[in-house]
Amino acid sequence: MKLRRPKYLVDPPSSSMNDIAFILIIFFLVCASVEPEDGRPQIIPSSEKNEEQNNTQSIEVGLTPSTATIDGTPYQKEQFKGKISQILSQKETESERIVVVKSQNDVPYEHWIAMTEIIEKSGGIVTLLLEEEQTIIVE
Amino acid sequence: MILRRKKLEANVPSMAMGDIAFLLLIFIVLLARARDDSHLVWQPATGSELVKPANQNASIVIDKMNITYLNGRPIQNENISDQLSALLGELPPGSRTVLFKVHKDVVAEHFEPAIEAISEAGGELHHVLEPLTAIKTP
Repeated sequence: MKLRRPKYLVDPPSSSMNDIAFILIIFFLVCASVEPEDGRPQIIPSSEKNEEQNNTQSIEVGLTPSTATIDGTPYQKEQFKGKISQILSQKETESERIVVVKSQNDVPYEHWIAMTEIIEKSGGIVTLLLEEEQTIIVE
Repeated sequence: MILRRKKLEANVPSMAMGDIAFLLLIFIVLLARARDDSHLVWQPATGSELVKPANQNASIVIDKMNITYLNGRPIQNENISDQLSALLGELPPGSRTVLFKVHKDVVAEHFEPAIEAISEAGGELHHVLEPLTAIKTP
């Protein structure tokens, strides 16, 4: 004689499902919103301030895609680091430590950021020199 | 003879609550996605001694196609200053951080005008970079 096991209908507890779904959604949201934000703050003095400081003699750094120049003399990256540190160590006031960076149009951001990092770590204050286009109407 | 009124129970159907909450969340997530810039393709340049920004009021991205975005929306360089000024309003110094995310190969012709515009708007520039140690050599 075979004894049949009775079948019980067991429902999973559905009341906690909402909470589980909610916690899972929050978990995914937190994971999705983590974006890189680490970086380097940079203070670029405003144009008005630059105009005031034009009277003092500032260091001019020119950037090309592969090299950098200091007051017209070209240097490789390692040489540049030593030279700019040497120049800036002799400067005492804040206005003397202003470094005017003039980049060629094809200088990549990676090179620019590396060079300005060197200048700032050496104590320099970076300002930009941009070319402006002006339309002059001749009468 | 007093006839008692039959009491009708009116319960809020709790089974649908989960679905309603879920739909609301999807709606909120979609709205949030429309503002952020996580869909943009750019690769950060490298740097050392990186710090986290104390706050963040706006973000400017220049992607690998040299297109500039303010808070995830395309913008011309000439309009950055005005729109950023409106976004930053009268916030005090120290609370005017602008995240600047530029693809590492973008050239000065495209990123320098954006830097100038941030400076003009009184934004505090924060270059988003990748730590040097994170570079994997093949």
